[in-house]
Order: sequence, then structure tokens, then C-alpha cells
Amino acid sequence: MIDTRKYIFTFVLTAALFATAFFASSFFSGKRVENVKEIQDNIAIDILSSETQFDLLKEVSCSNVNDSMLSPQLSEIGEKLSRTESERGGTDPDVVYLKKYYTLLEIKDYLLSKKLVEKCGAAKKPVFIIYFYSNKGDCPECEKEGFVLTRLKEKYPELRVYSFDYNLDLSAVDSMKRIYKITSSLPALVIEDQTYIGFKSVEELELLLPDTLKENMSLSATSTTSSTTKKAK
Amino acid sequence: MLEQILSALMYPFLFLSMFFQVLLLISFFENKKKFDEEEYHKLEHFPSVAVAIPCWNEERTLPATLDSLLALDYPKDKLSIMVVDDGSKDNTYAIAQEYATKYPGLITAISKENGGKHTAVNLALERSTSDFFGCLDADSFVAPHTLKTIISYFDRDPEIMAVTPCIHIRRPKTFVQRMQAVEYLMGVFVRKAFGSLDAIQVTPGPFSIFKKEVFEKIGNYHKAHNTEDFEITLRMHKAHLKIANSHKALVYTVGPSTAVGFFYQRLRWARGFLENALDYRELFFKKEYGNFGMFTLPMAFMFVFYGLYAALFAVYTSAKQIAQLVERWLTVGIHFQIPTFDIFYFNTNVMSFIVMVMLTMFLLVLYISNTLTDDRQQFFRNFPVFFILYPFFVPLYLGRAVFDTFFKQKNEWILQDTKK
Repeated sequence: MIDTRKYIFTFVLTAALFATAFFASSFFSGKRVENVKEIQDNIAIDILSSETQFDLLKEVSCSNVNDSMLSPQLSEIGEKLSRTESERGGTDPDVVYLKKYYTLLEIKDYLLSKKLVEKCGAAKKPVFIIYFYSNKGDCPECEKEGFVLTRLKEKYPELRVYSFDYNLDLSAVDSMKRIYKITSSLPALVIEDQTYIGFKSVEELELLLPDTLKENMSLSATSTTSSTTKKAK
Repeated sequence: MLEQILSALMYPFLFLSMFFQVLLLISFFENKKKFDEEEYHKLEHFPSVAVAIPCWNEERTLPATLDSLLALDYPKDKLSIMVVDDGSKDNTYAIAQEYATKYPGLITAISKENGGKHTAVNLALERSTSDFFGCLDADSFVAPHTLKTIISYFDRDPEIMAVTPCIHIRRPKTFVQRMQAVEYLMGVFVRKAFGSLDAIQVTPGPFSIFKKEVFEKIGNYHKAHNTEDFEITLRMHKAHLKIANSHKALVYTVGPSTAVGFFYQRLRWARGFLENALDYRELFFKKEYGNFGMFTLPMAFMFVFYGLYAALFAVYTSAKQIAQLVERWLTVGIHFQIPTFDIFYFNTNVMSFIVMVMLTMFLLVLYISNTLTDDRQQFFRNFPVFFILYPFFVPLYLGRAVFDTFFKQKNEWILQDTKK
């Protein structure tokens, strides 16, 4: 009365469908890691190129140093990385590798922007926030601070946010922590070489940010408008 | 950690659900050819059929129900219609009498004190002398060819003891009814597939037709936790009586129009299912009861609990996402950014792929259903309503049904319920 063969066949077919789902998931997730890695490689090349340019132009004036010296892809990659982390988990070896890579790129970028200031003074000074967070569940305010920083980046595209996972096992991060005297009380923010501990809202941070950023924003807004008008023609 | 455990528990459920879907699809396609042939059977002679209409305050829909029966393409001298008024407080009995005078010998009006649906049907059953007996709820309507189609099944296979029809929601208007239209459409396929496994789950109140000898063998209807149509099916399986489904025998039923009405109807069904399944637990995992005892009935029973779990899991995950969104709004205010399309952000976790496969199979089932039935439904129009609304009801009525069953609240008809 019961067709056992049918049940076995059904089981095999269902298992195959399930396996396909697992395979598809790991395939696309792997693609995602590759994608992040690829962008990071691009950034690495950008940074290397900028550093080389600095070395070459040691004696030349600031006018040869332009905006494109800092990689615009860094903040994009940050978002992609945090999405990858939330899906694969913070302990996934691929994620840890990408995070270390990303962290090093951030530090490199940070050093580069410092160089830029040395070379050209405050006029072209990039504005950045250094942000230390923890994903281990011991920092209830970190998620909120993340929202704030995302919002600030939306508002001021020129702003560079370097975020560091406090728990990342990387000696360069330890050095950063030492330089800015960061302890385990998080979130911690560094703006203009000054360290702030605890949650800061959008408004609070805006007060701490230098005015040049806001001026730049209005400037870039006008330039975007003019370029769109040009395109429209 | 807790979240990982909760999500890991979902996988056996998803596997079993997918197994079930695949089994039904395989069983269906195995017998597809047979289904197509089923409908070309001409009747040589017409046996006598009695149809009972149990009524309780049905003055609004009774005339249309009777008219649909009168319009049946079946010899009138072989048909007897019994309206049993189960102590209505409205004009039901007067309407029944009016019809009885107009069609003497064909329609009989019977009045009795209120005693519940099963008592009304049993009274008709005792008075009937026909070869076949069926029941039509007073809010349901038959198509002209329906009875002929059903009787032809009995004619073809003498082993068949009962035949269930293909049920659609009549003129779905409200969102809740349109949602049910999709659900009933899915039922067209499900019934057919269950039929090919000899595992039909229920002989529904609207126009399931039985050989009279069924009742001689297994007795009349019971109160059965207010789901007498499910209980009699269990009893038939227990007695090894064969049930078939006719996908061309169209019946229309009025679905509850409001969310509250729908909730109470489903609560009664789910509760009745649980209680009756527990009463008949001896059928579980017994080889002699075939696919029904070994697989479909125990699975259906388990799905009540697992379905509840899955629904709560879905609620939990969406609530978490909403909470995060709200926290974001509270922290930085509401700012709408034009979303940029980036394939990178597609969800690639295993569960979403599994759900995608199951959803595809579900759409396939709806498509098959629509090719099976003679009355095609607008499922593209109604599907989004189903997809959005249905998940909200499931945890509510399943949760309540499970709670009530184990804490022994009485399973009563609720006024808003449409009494099916």
C-alpha cells in the first residue's frame, strides 16, 4: 500500500534541492568575499600609487597634489564588509582576513591624509573620525554610534571615517589604541587628535567637526550642481 | 547563540515541508494522465441522491443555495433535497417551506430544535432512502454539472465510497476573501495529490457525496469537536473506505469576509483537527492505514506545532529588523536615501535560497491548480494579498488552537464564524 520507492525518491530529490540551496548560498557568499577582496586590492594599488607620487614629488609644490590622492572606495568597502560580516559571522576566517586587510588599508589611508596635511597645510586638510567599536555584545551603544556615523557620511561625503574593531587581533590596531589611549570602554571616537568616550549623537559630533568640512560641503554642493547643469546641456 | 539555535531548528522543518511538497508533486505527476481521463465518463444510469442542507439562521443565502441545487443537470426524480432547520431564529424555515410547496417530492423542509450541525445532518440521513447521500452548507453553491461528475466516479470504480469536490471561494471581494481564494485554489491541487496517495484529509461540508452504505458501516455523524467532516474522514480511513476527489466538480462557498470571522473559523478548524487527530491517534504510524496513517496524518499533526514555531520565528526575525530600523530612526532621524541597486546586497544565506525554492514550487502548485479547475482564478491579482496577509493569521489561530486544546477551553461555534 505504501510505495517505499516513491518515498526514497522524494527524499533524494528533496535532499538534492536542499544541497543546491546550500551550494548556491556558499557560491554567492564566496563571490561576495571575492568582490570585497578585489576592491581592497584596487584600494591597495591606489594607496601605493599615491605614496609613490608623494615620494616622486617631494620637492614639488602642493598644487600637484589633488583630491584623488585618497581612495574614494574606502567607505563603500566598509559597508560591504560589515554586511559580509553580519552574514558569515565575525569568526569566519575569510571575514577576519578581509577585516585585517581593510584595517591596514584604513591606517595607510590615514597616514596618507596626514602626509597631505604636512605637504599642503590646513587648506586641503581632510577631515576624519577614528572610531573604535566592538561587535562582541559588550558595547550596547556601538550599533547606535554606527547609525550616527553612517548618517554623517551621507551628510558630508568628504568626511572619512576610519572604524576599527577593538577586538581585532592585529598589532597595527594595538598601536592605534596605544597612540589614542583607547581602553575597553566603547564606543570611542577620535576627532582632531582628541579622544571622546561614549555615545555621541549627530548634533554633538557636528559641533566637534571643523568648520572646513561644512564649508567644503556647500562648495561641493555648488560644484555638483554646476556639473549636472553642464551634463544637462 | 540563542538565535543560532532557533534558526538551526528551522532546517528540519524546512526539509520536511519541502519533502511534503515534492511528494505531492511527484504523486500528482505520476497520476496526471489518469486525472485527464477521469472526466470523460458518461453515466449509463442515474442512482438516487439525497442532499441535506443543515441550516442555522441562513435566510440570506438559503434561496441561492437551493436554486443552485435545482439547476443541477441531474434527473429530478432521482434527487431529493432536505432542508433541515436546526432551530433558526430567522426566516430560514419559512423559506424552506416555501420551496417545499413549490417543488413537492423534490424538496422537503424539516424543522427541529437546535442541537448542532451533526444532529441536523443525522436527521436527514435517517430519513433518506437514496443510494447516495451528501451535504451542502447553506452558504455554498454547486455548478450544474457537479453532481453528474461526482457520480461518474462511483460508477467507474465501485471501491470508491466518497467523493470530494473542487471548492472555490464565491465572488471574493474583501482582502480576507481574496486571500482565501488563493488558499482554496491551492487546495485544488492538494486534494488531487492527496487523492492519488489515498490520503484525503477531509470530506468537506460543501458537497462531499457518500455512498449510503458508508453510514451503515461506520455510523452517522458525531459532534466531533465541531469538525464533523474531518472526524468522519478519520473514521472512513479507519474502516479502510476509499475516498476520491473530483477536480471538475465545482462548488462555491462564501468565505468569512472579515479578519475576525476568518480567525474564528480557522481556530475551530485547527482545534477540531488537533482534538480529532488525538482521538484517532491509533491511526498514527500504522502500516495498514497506508500513506494516511504512516505519513500525511502524523505530518499534518506535527505541522501544527512546527508551523507555529516557524511563524513565531518569522515574527521574531521581522520584529528584530523593525526594532533596528526604529532605533536607527530614533538615533539619527528619518532620512530617505535613494536606494542604490547593488547585487552585492542580495541575501545569500541558505534559508533564503530554500525559501525561494519552496516559493517557486508553491507558485507551480497554484499554476497546476488553475489548469486543473474549470473555473480559473485570478491568482496574480490575489497572490500578493495572500502572501502579505496569510502569515499574520497562522501564528494567531495555531497558537490559540494549541493553547485551547491543552488547556481544555470548550470548542464552540462563534457567532462571527461562518459555520462550515
